[in-house]
Amino acid sequence: MGGILPPVERRTGALVATWVSVSLVLLLVGERVPQSFLRGVGATLFAPLDRAVLVSDRLAAAWRENQQLHQRLTELELENGRLRDGAREYTRLREELALPRIASSPLEPLELLAMSGEPIPASATLSGGKDRGVRDGQVVITRDGLVGRITEVYPFSSRVSLLTDPGVSVACEVESTGVLGVVRFVTSPTAQLLFTSVPFTDTVKVGERVLTSHLSRRYPRGIPVGRVVRIGKDPTGLTQAIEIEPAARLSRLRHVFVIAPPPDLETRK
Amino acid sequence: MRALASFLVGIVVVLLLRSTALSAFAARGIVLDVLAFACVVWSLRHGPAWGCSFGFALGLCGDLDAAHWLGRHALVLTLLGYAIGRLATTLVRESARTQFVLLLTATVIHQAWAALFELRGWNAMPQLLTRVVVSALATAGVGTLLLMMARRIVGGPLFGNVSVQPGTAR
Repeated sequence: MGGILPPVERRTGALVATWVSVSLVLLLVGERVPQSFLRGVGATLFAPLDRAVLVSDRLAAAWRENQQLHQRLTELELENGRLRDGAREYTRLREELALPRIASSPLEPLELLAMSGEPIPASATLSGGKDRGVRDGQVVITRDGLVGRITEVYPFSSRVSLLTDPGVSVACEVESTGVLGVVRFVTSPTAQLLFTSVPFTDTVKVGERVLTSHLSRRYPRGIPVGRVVRIGKDPTGLTQAIEIEPAARLSRLRHVFVIAPPPDLETRK
Repeated sequence: MRALASFLVGIVVVLLLRSTALSAFAARGIVLDVLAFACVVWSLRHGPAWGCSFGFALGLCGDLDAAHWLGRHALVLTLLGYAIGRLATTLVRESARTQFVLLLTATVIHQAWAALFELRGWNAMPQLLTRVVVSALATAGVGTLLLMMARRIVGGPLFGNVSVQPGTAR
């Protein structure tokens, strides 16, 4: 064979064989390669470039959003005054009933630099890492609702697994009725966000809001996750499969907030 | 040295596009397969040796970025790069029809291969097939249009005549 082919062809053939062999080996043992470290290096190198690519888009959007936010700020200031009164009363009542205090988490704003995963983005790179005090397991939200959870932290950036990651599941409840279930993203047969593990005896209606529940060890209670759009049956036929529309607009993320996860169940007691 | 620099710049640009502008399309269900597009263009221009190397490097970076098994994109893009690089010596590379067909075929192969890893049951088949077809048509259409525009801007052939072997000085 080597004698039949001209030298250039032989070199090209050897090159292809090398790359194909490496690919096959990686397919077999790729799980053992320290991918997190390599992704961290990549994210650090790409962060300034991502920022540069996004800058024009961000400037135009910031200009538009500025006006809307001014109006919203005024509305929220007024609402905040009313809520502060309510919160004082709520705290007093909880104390009288000897219920534990509900702590609020500080918000750490971060910029979204890049999204990855196909066909639907399943993770995103954020502009802050260890330098901004971001820790593994922290919860990522927007003003609309839950976005995901920090799964990898690098020196100057971090990676968040979005709700659209099939590996992410969130213990949730229906806002109005308290019906419990688990929200997870499935890609098969169609890509959709499902509120699963809900028995047929529980009634859920289209349009109801789904929030994170008190049973979640990873997400604080009460963060909006989505709204019910369709009610179906699980392939097993044992429970309902409820399709929900994400509360956070995952395809238009620009800025997100990182908050602390809930305290461990053991320490809550 | 210049070829290596353009090789690295090409990979960086493709990955940047994929993780910023094109991810918004992907979230709406339209996957513009920039990996397949770049692999086809690079292989047409530089031939099989550079084509398979570019495909391998691009695929490996794509695998790392997507946080799944390493080698998934790398393997198929290596083979596509090599095959298209070989074909480039016998095709009229400047023809829009040739480019359309190559982009369509490469995207179908790449997307179908990626979809195989997501197949959890036969009932998911129609959805995945639709995605492969939509992605292939979108990538081939937009890709061919981009190459036509690039040819206009450059004011000459992008890949050279069939008599000019890919990978040789132009």
